Amino acid sequence: MKPYIPKLIAKVMLALAVVSANAAETVKVGVLHSLSGTMAISETSLKDVLLFTFDEINKSGGIKAGGKNYMIEPVIVDPASNWPLFAEKAKQLLEVDNVSVVFGCWTSVSRKSVLPVFEKDNGLLFYPVQYEGEELSKNIFYTAEALNQQAIPAVDYMLAEGKKKFYLLGSDYVYPRTTNKVLKKYLKSKGIPDSDVVEIYTPFGHTDYQTIVAEIKKFAAAGKATVISTLNGDTNVPFFKEFANAGLTSENCPVVSFSISEDEFRGLPAKALVGHLGCWTYFMSIKSPENTKFVKDFQTWLKAPTVTGADYKISGIDGKGRVTCSPMNLSRMGVYLWKQAVEKADSFEVDKVRDALIGQKFKGPAGEVTMQENHHLVNNVFIGETLATGQFKIIKTFKDVAGEPFSEKFLPKQTAAN
Amino acid sequence: MGESCRLEIRNPCSFLFIHAFLVLLHLAAFASFAASPHRTNLVEAVLSEDLARQTDIIKSLVEANDPLIEQALTAWRGGSLYVLETNDTKTPILLDPVTDAEGSAKAIRLIDGEFVKGADGKPLVFAVADLTAADATSKLRKVIKATLDLFALGNPNPAMRRDAVIKLGQEQNPDYLPFFETRQKTEQNLEVVKALSEAVATTQLLSEDESVRLAAIGRLGTMRSINGLNFLQRLETEAKAAPAKYGEKTADALHKSIRDIQDYIQWGNFFGTAFRGLSLAAILLVAALGLAITFGLMGVINMAHGEVIMIGAYSAYVTQNVFAKWFGASGRGFDCYFIAALVVSFVVAGLVGLILERGVIRFLYKRPLESLLATWGVSLVLQQIIRHIFGAANVQVNSPSWLSGSFNVSDVLLGYNRLFVIGFAVFVVLLTYLLLTRTSLGLQIRAVMQNRHMASALGVRTDRVNMMTFAFGSGLAGMAGACLSQIGNVGPALGQYHIVDCFMIVVLGGVGSIVGTVSASLGVGVTNQILEPWLGSVLGKITVLAAIILFLQWRPAGLFVTRSRSLEG
Repeated sequence: MKPYIPKLIAKVMLALAVVSANAAETVKVGVLHSLSGTMAISETSLKDVLLFTFDEINKSGGIKAGGKNYMIEPVIVDPASNWPLFAEKAKQLLEVDNVSVVFGCWTSVSRKSVLPVFEKDNGLLFYPVQYEGEELSKNIFYTAEALNQQAIPAVDYMLAEGKKKFYLLGSDYVYPRTTNKVLKKYLKSKGIPDSDVVEIYTPFGHTDYQTIVAEIKKFAAAGKATVISTLNGDTNVPFFKEFANAGLTSENCPVVSFSISEDEFRGLPAKALVGHLGCWTYFMSIKSPENTKFVKDFQTWLKAPTVTGADYKISGIDGKGRVTCSPMNLSRMGVYLWKQAVEKADSFEVDKVRDALIGQKFKGPAGEVTMQENHHLVNNVFIGETLATGQFKIIKTFKDVAGEPFSEKFLPKQTAAN
Repeated sequence: MGESCRLEIRNPCSFLFIHAFLVLLHLAAFASFAASPHRTNLVEAVLSEDLARQTDIIKSLVEANDPLIEQALTAWRGGSLYVLETNDTKTPILLDPVTDAEGSAKAIRLIDGEFVKGADGKPLVFAVADLTAADATSKLRKVIKATLDLFALGNPNPAMRRDAVIKLGQEQNPDYLPFFETRQKTEQNLEVVKALSEAVATTQLLSEDESVRLAAIGRLGTMRSINGLNFLQRLETEAKAAPAKYGEKTADALHKSIRDIQDYIQWGNFFGTAFRGLSLAAILLVAALGLAITFGLMGVINMAHGEVIMIGAYSAYVTQNVFAKWFGASGRGFDCYFIAALVVSFVVAGLVGLILERGVIRFLYKRPLESLLATWGVSLVLQQIIRHIFGAANVQVNSPSWLSGSFNVSDVLLGYNRLFVIGFAVFVVLLTYLLLTRTSLGLQIRAVMQNRHMASALGVRTDRVNMMTFAFGSGLAGMAGACLSQIGNVGPALGQYHIVDCFMIVVLGGVGSIVGTVSASLGVGVTNQILEPWLGSVLGKITVLAAIILFLQWRPAGLFVTRSRSLEG
């Protein structure tokens, strides 16, 4: 019998090793999205898609690092649409929960609020929502559309369509104001005189668009006019209702909106928006095997949401009539890029992962993305026309647009005459 | 055919008639045959790589009177015209709009309008994903668009026709003039006739012939054409730059026409502002009137007023969904939903008010600060209940067709929904006035509000009067919610947007005075609309708010001071 004992021990050891590799190791990942307050409507969808992505990764074996397989364990906090609370929650994630990476933030002000925390604690944040640029932190990766991946292509498209007059309408906060400032410079460089560019802002929750629509009607009277809208959230409802009632249509004055994605569309009057345009790096209607799988898997997952391999209970997910949209896709891209970088660096250490992230490529639903040295993605940009179903029909594609946060780098140089 | 079979040839005249008929038939056949060169050309254009040739062909297609060509061009522009490649032959095809379960459809050949068939003679089906779309660069799309616009001149829908005319006129392309002139001869619709003469005049502005140009300038001026103003101004700048080329007459005519149009726009602005002010006032009034009763007359600081408005809006949403289920999502049956919604929202909100009064407020009549806190709590509970039932996202309330659109009185747009709200505000104020002055309930309400103890001593059941008044005020708020659902969003936070405005109006008007509420909403509405074009909506709002605060410093009791013991005590 004796000779068998070492074999037996070896067998037991092997079994133990397999068990530990399969189940024991987890890595904590932070999710920092408002689940209550005004931003909850938008941000909850991002939390859902992140959990779905974690489940997807865990199901297919988790993340390989240091010869082990790690399961993702989400740590979800609720900053409640309260900007100072974002900083506190970020601190908690980094210092108490010791998470390896954080996915989160929607508004620019929330990102600005957590930025010093991430820089001090050397954390890692992935930010997925289109924003105004002019910022670059070594601790933040921006999977979001930069201005030259959304606003500039949209304006280029309008110029190519022969539009000569631009009405820049936005909600009164930092993203629309910065965007419009850049767009004004850009339009000027394209030979559109200042007199043909109007810039107007309305407060959050504004409901009375009569005067503005009457002005647009006059503005568009001589044709070739377009509205570039950075109106936020539900102010779009009274605006588009008034717009349609005034007899303005996508034919005589198209509106390009930067803040309306498929997800926002669920609360908007579909009829009034038909034919107007959107510009994003992803649309749910994209036809690719990756996207078909993403949409189908996500919708199946919503029926019975779990995160495989993690001790985390999900509650309160509303699976009715759910869609996918660009910020959701970019959230998911972030997770996969991080996973690949961790596997390349063979470590969860922030400094190593950061170096490994540069140059990472991932083939996602909207085509291949590449992380650049400036922490922004090279991504495809699409212009879509709104359909009555709340989906977009893609009418123009800009291939491989490299995201650039600083407007002076993509704006044409001012000539000596100016 | 039955008719013609019974026709007997009794005289040469009817024989001739039949003969003519046959000739016509031949001609019709010939016409359809003659259309095919256009189709052949179109096929050539689709397959061609030469932009100039493509442009020429597409331009020539204007003469084709063929629905399939129009369909094909629309599809080409939209990227849904496909090229089928089989053994070196390329066939441009369109997909049939009818799709099967997998989303595949039959293909229509461009050349003859027949389905593409397989070897067994059955039509083949294709999936969009497997097909290559015909290329259309943006330059080509523009050419296609121009041709389609010329097609649209013959569109049976007058609104489409007008839009097409306006758009073509703005191109100022003399090539289009013959098309306009042909259309002018047959056009019946007044709007389109106007658009046509505007388009002709706009195009003729660029004419080399001075008399034509002068006539066009004059015509735009007398028409008070706002659409033409921009073109006149552009011409004026050019004329100033090169006075020799255009001459003094043109400059004078331009000056006069531009001044005429600008004066006209001034008047339009004035009436437009007045109308918009009135409509904003009506919205404020409708929302605040319920509060004018519960807060103004009864003295209850009801922070849940906004949430009662929201419940009214959600009642309208539910009514809409029920009607959509019964009658389908459009049509006359569905359009009636809004009338029902007004009644439903009045009843539902009234009931909520009733429960609120019985459950909370009646214990707090003598403690206003506590009623403020309690009703604020109630407002949070109501919001959360709505979130729980309908979800946190906004819901879609579609306007019935008779509330969408607008009508145009000398270039001032009067939106149907706005007109409706104005009318509704007048109606509700009248209703409230009559209720308070002409009914026994109104008499009792006034008695209770003036002197509760005396009224009670005279046998008025003050408790019941309180309950009815509060329910009525809440019911009005509910109807306001139904109205607001036609203008803005419907979401759980709807009430919060309006509650501040409502209190502001009631306090400004003078607590306890319905006349005050009416005047205050008129004042705030019109002032807001006058200031907005100058200061922008953010600064405009701030200015109005600052003005109200200053006014209340001067007259703390508001516009109309009501003296009543219940308020003073």
